[in-house]
Amino acid sequence: MLTRKQLWRAARDALLYVSLCTVTFIVCFPLIWALSTSLKPKSEIFATPPTLVPRTLTFENYEALLTGRQQYYHSGPQTAPSGPTPAQFFTRWFVNSVIVTAGSTLISIVISTLAAYSLTRFRYWGRSVVPYFSLLGYMVPSIIFVFPLFLMMVRLELTDSLWSLIFGYVSITLPFCMWLMWAFMRSIPIEIEEAALIDGASRYQVFRQVVLPTALPGIIAASIFAMIVSWNDYLFGRVFINSLDNLTLTVGVMLFFEGTHVDWGLLMAASVLMTVPMAILFMALQRHLVAGFGAGAVKG
Amino acid sequence: MEVRLERINKRFGAVQILKDIDLVFPSRKFVTLLGPSGCGKTTLLRMIAGLEDITAGKIWFGERVVNELAPRDRNIAMVFQSYALYPQMTVRRNLGYGLRVRGTPVSEIDTAVERVARILEIDHLLERKPAQLSGGQRQRVALGRAMVRKPDIFLMDEPLSNLDAKLRVTMRGELRRFHLDLNATTIYVTHDQLEAMTMSDLIAVMHHGVVQQYGTPAEIYSKPANLFVAGFIGSPPMNFLEGEISNRRFLVGDGSLPLPALQVEANAQKAVLGVRPQDLSRAPAAGQDTITGTISLVELLGSEKLVEVQLQNRKRMSIQLRADAFVEMGALFHLRFDPQRLHLFDKESGNIIPASN
Ligand SMILES: Nc1ncnc2c1ncn2[C@@H]1O[C@H](COP(=O)(O)OP(=O)(O)OP(=O)(O)O)[C@@H](O)[C@H]1O
Ligand SMILES: [Mg+2]
Repeated sequence: MLTRKQLWRAARDALLYVSLCTVTFIVCFPLIWALSTSLKPKSEIFATPPTLVPRTLTFENYEALLTGRQQYYHSGPQTAPSGPTPAQFFTRWFVNSVIVTAGSTLISIVISTLAAYSLTRFRYWGRSVVPYFSLLGYMVPSIIFVFPLFLMMVRLELTDSLWSLIFGYVSITLPFCMWLMWAFMRSIPIEIEEAALIDGASRYQVFRQVVLPTALPGIIAASIFAMIVSWNDYLFGRVFINSLDNLTLTVGVMLFFEGTHVDWGLLMAASVLMTVPMAILFMALQRHLVAGFGAGAVKG
Repeated sequence: MEVRLERINKRFGAVQILKDIDLVFPSRKFVTLLGPSGCGKTTLLRMIAGLEDITAGKIWFGERVVNELAPRDRNIAMVFQSYALYPQMTVRRNLGYGLRVRGTPVSEIDTAVERVARILEIDHLLERKPAQLSGGQRQRVALGRAMVRKPDIFLMDEPLSNLDAKLRVTMRGELRRFHLDLNATTIYVTHDQLEAMTMSDLIAVMHHGVVQQYGTPAEIYSKPANLFVAGFIGSPPMNFLEGEISNRRFLVGDGSLPLPALQVEANAQKAVLGVRPQDLSRAPAAGQDTITGTISLVELLGSEKLVEVQLQNRKRMSIQLRADAFVEMGALFHLRFDPQRLHLFDKESGNIIPASN
């Protein structure tokens, strides 16, 4: 027999889970809807009443994006457009996004890690104010930076190349990454480096074998920031790039809206594919992030 | 290996932290740097380790001046106050790191690590990370990391200060044993005089960046060189009375006490008399060598009783009696001073006024 107290507790738990599930569902709904739409045939997308779980499952949207094949003959009276379609460029844009995200993140992280190490471990003029000044840039909306940066890219003859985006993203992610790494490095006790020096390590070995692994959670946090900014950026991609070949996903996907016809299934499939790599990356890195923080203790 | 400090000075900017330190740490001895917080012990130890620049002076390891030698080339090991374990490495890798970076073959590293882990009784913790250890276990790992390489010189900076009182007592004995096993010159830093007294062959008492006295624990306890050492060593602390030396007696307030023969007899010299609570005794009645006061506080310490006696000049003296001694608050108390167990210090300089024997 359940006692009153046990019943009460069970009811409370049930209520808790129900409300948690509801909130989770609401938060995830746009994603779920996008996923659902992307898996529906065109006839079902506008069905009334709308279906959350597709009645007929189709991968034609994904197929179209990944193979670049046109799908227009399915969709009623329209004739296939004469020019190239966004779907044909999807893989290309995807690769571009990966390149600029990876490139700019890598550059930002390398520079900011080294800079933070120097700022926390060596004495020179201005070393205490640099981290604070580095944040000033974020007080200004980035639209203000875009055109001066664009003019600089013109000078450097880098416009319409992925390099312009890589450098652009580095310029907006580096200061914050550096600040983050600085705050992190500051919390690493200098004694563990000194212990390594006494143990027989060279300066370089100390950095490679002791400082970097200890700073790993910070590096991961900074990388996540840099990747989010670069992967999701629209403004720079829009301004710096003008050939279809060099667009990134964010700007490219907007082209699905052009013209009179919006292929929602295709658009949603593209959105899902855009989200997936980031989601996977997060899940993989999050574990490191937490594990790293737990291992930081030095004192008893 | 003998370590010799020759007129070592250290300045941070304009602040002089260490002044003309001259010390010899004899080979294989356990030497303690003892002093209050901020007196420069850690700084001196770090200079010996090569982690801190030397403003002036020379450090010798045996026949060699090591001022310019990198820490890794000094064949030293150091236990930091914070332990400074490598947080992302397991205990096994922490212990073996010093051998690994020096290119020791893996099989040798394993043997050495396991030997040390067995001695320190941490062999069941080898696969854990430092965060998963207790304070005492971390401390052992830090010790083990230092022992594994067979250093010539073993440096320890307050390794016991993060442990609880009981563990600290056990570890004192163990550290002493490790020292004997290790056959290295040990330089140990602490601000705890009891630690210093129980573990050391020699103690250097430091204050304000100056070595106040350097000697065996017995010397430092029984013949303190100055007021600072006298007050710093011993528990409960030494009693001090200000007065004047006159005709081989010490005049204090309205009483006077007999003094031992002094090396240089003095007259009308302002002086401070020091006497340990253990060296005072109770006289049944007032006499030539007593001062009288009233009992103002009684503390039972277990096997002893600490009695505080307030003199006429309101000065308080503490005396240690057996726990079963009968004392009553507010009662008269005659303190007997043994002339052979008094310490006299010059009031101006604070230095000892030596007795003649
Ligand atoms: N890097 C530094 N820059 C300036 N002053 C310093 C520096 N390191 C230490 N000091 C000063 O030097 C003095 C001695 O410091 P040290 O750490 O050697 O003291 P300590 O005797 O080890 O004290 P504790 O028992 O508290 O550890 C202190 O007054 C401290 O403020
Ligand atoms: Mg210290």
